[in-house]
Amino acid sequence: MSDDKKKVCLKLENVSKVFAKVESDGVTHALQDVSTEMQSGEFVSLVGPSGCGKSTILRLVAGLITPTLGRVTVDGKEVDGPSPQRGLVFQNPTLFPWLTVEKNISFSLDMQGAADGKAEKVKHMLEITGLERFKSDYPAQLSGGMAQRVALVRTLINEPEILLLDEPLGALDAFTRMNMQDEILNIWTQRRQLALMVTHSIDEAVYMGTRVLVMEANPGRIVADIRISEDFPRDRSSASFVEYRNEILNKLHYGGKNA
Amino acid sequence: MPESKVKSKRNADVALLSGLTRRQLKELEEKEKTPAQKTAEAIIMILPLLCGCIAMAEYVILPNNSRNSKPWSYVWVLGAAMCIYLVCFIVSLIRRARGEKQFYEKLRYKAPRYAALFIFLAVYDYLTLKTGTLTQPFVPCMNYIINAFLVDYKMLADCTLNTLKLLFIGYSIGVTLGLITGIACGYSKKARYWLDPIIKFLGPIPTSTWIPIIMVVATSLFGGAVFIIALGSWFAVTVASLTGISNVGKEYFEAARTLGATNRQLVLHVAIPHAMPSILQGCTQAMSSSCVAIMIAEMLGVKSGLGWYMTWQTGWASYDKSFAALFVICFIFTLVTNGLERIKRYLLRWQNGAEK
Repeated sequence: MSDDKKKVCLKLENVSKVFAKVESDGVTHALQDVSTEMQSGEFVSLVGPSGCGKSTILRLVAGLITPTLGRVTVDGKEVDGPSPQRGLVFQNPTLFPWLTVEKNISFSLDMQGAADGKAEKVKHMLEITGLERFKSDYPAQLSGGMAQRVALVRTLINEPEILLLDEPLGALDAFTRMNMQDEILNIWTQRRQLALMVTHSIDEAVYMGTRVLVMEANPGRIVADIRISEDFPRDRSSASFVEYRNEILNKLHYGGKNA
Repeated sequence: MPESKVKSKRNADVALLSGLTRRQLKELEEKEKTPAQKTAEAIIMILPLLCGCIAMAEYVILPNNSRNSKPWSYVWVLGAAMCIYLVCFIVSLIRRARGEKQFYEKLRYKAPRYAALFIFLAVYDYLTLKTGTLTQPFVPCMNYIINAFLVDYKMLADCTLNTLKLLFIGYSIGVTLGLITGIACGYSKKARYWLDPIIKFLGPIPTSTWIPIIMVVATSLFGGAVFIIALGSWFAVTVASLTGISNVGKEYFEAARTLGATNRQLVLHVAIPHAMPSILQGCTQAMSSSCVAIMIAEMLGVKSGLGWYMTWQTGWASYDKSFAALFVICFIFTLVTNGLERIKRYLLRWQNGAEK
């Protein structure tokens, strides 16, 4: 791992997040007293049933929402709003349909008025995705996988310290999904930024993560923090892989009898 | 054929497929036309010319039912129309021979319509000038109308300019203000709080309702007409852009914010482009309401423009001139709407999805 990049430390300190319900006067406890810590170089997968607050953690870190109680800090500084340094990739690509692929990728730089090196950066991002041919196309003409690739590099162009992935592969078919898993891992291995990914797939969590946070709902909390100490690329059918998977399934109470 | 040869031919075919454009594909998959189909197509292509001849013959040969002064104007116009079609036809044939089929196909698509137009002219002339079923001069025949153009074209041009001036001043003021209020309301809750009641109160009043009041209140009738047109367009554009902006998905704003967009940029680079289809829809609607408003305004009070010209000439029983003005109105409104449609298509070119 190269040390020319600054290492960051992300901390959630006793974070609770409560949402007001829309239809009644009640509230939902999305997160209750969650504390954890992560560093650059980690790839953290968040798994758990829906409603366990996985996405809430991501949105808190992204700065799109603020915690009801507690603090979210990056290197000791409290998160007080979105920043390109904490890039978020959504489940839907949310590409801007009125911009070409190229313009979508450079959107962030355009907004920040960062003109120097823009052309090279965009070119580099197009190369990573292998979408040079489609650079003047509009998002409506792209397939789901291609659109998600564009969404990914649109965020990566800022070289974020923290890469937040909110079920980025959830809407893709199985084969595209496995290819994209490797692509994301490749990108991550090059810079070893802190990656935080929400997923519904335990396989995906184990395949990609250096660490898996298992969560539970009502109220949302972290119930297990499992380190996956295996080298990349991983073998989905190896004994240790299956073991990790079973361990997580057990934590989520879906395990078999022999576990 | 030996097997290797078959194989190489197939390979060549496949290689041809790889560099295929959409039009080439269409031609490739198109079935060879039967001789009957070819004849039918040729007939369709020359049908407008045949119908033009029919219209011409009908006009020249049949005896008139009423007096017809300067009878050759209509013949000239009809002949000019046929010549234009003939030129287009020849050009399309030359281009087709060179492999550019587009123009030919467009003409082939439109040819039946042109033919129908000539037939319509013939029937109209028969009903007016030749038999008087439609009484002269209340429903003037084409030759009268064309002569009215020739006599009064200066005044018509002047009136057209006045109408366009009024239309565009009112329309652009209305659209500009509408965009400002609509976008403000769509994006800021505070602006919406204050502007919503005004929109709700003023919006539903039909523009024509204002005219009698404006005629009395306004210091200049021109200013009053601008106000009425602007008000109508303002309302249409405000409502359309407001809806457009409130329909922008939250996720687009969130994505833009995590990519470092400021609040101002969210409006300019996310909200407005996303709402563009709706905004342009509003602009089109504003244009049609403006066209209605301007005609009413000109007929009721403003002392210039095509609407005024029409009522004025009808007052003098010059129905041919009223009809001439009607044609001009028809023509410029079509032109304006078409122009708007073109702008819309250009701005919304990103909406064209993958080719089906």
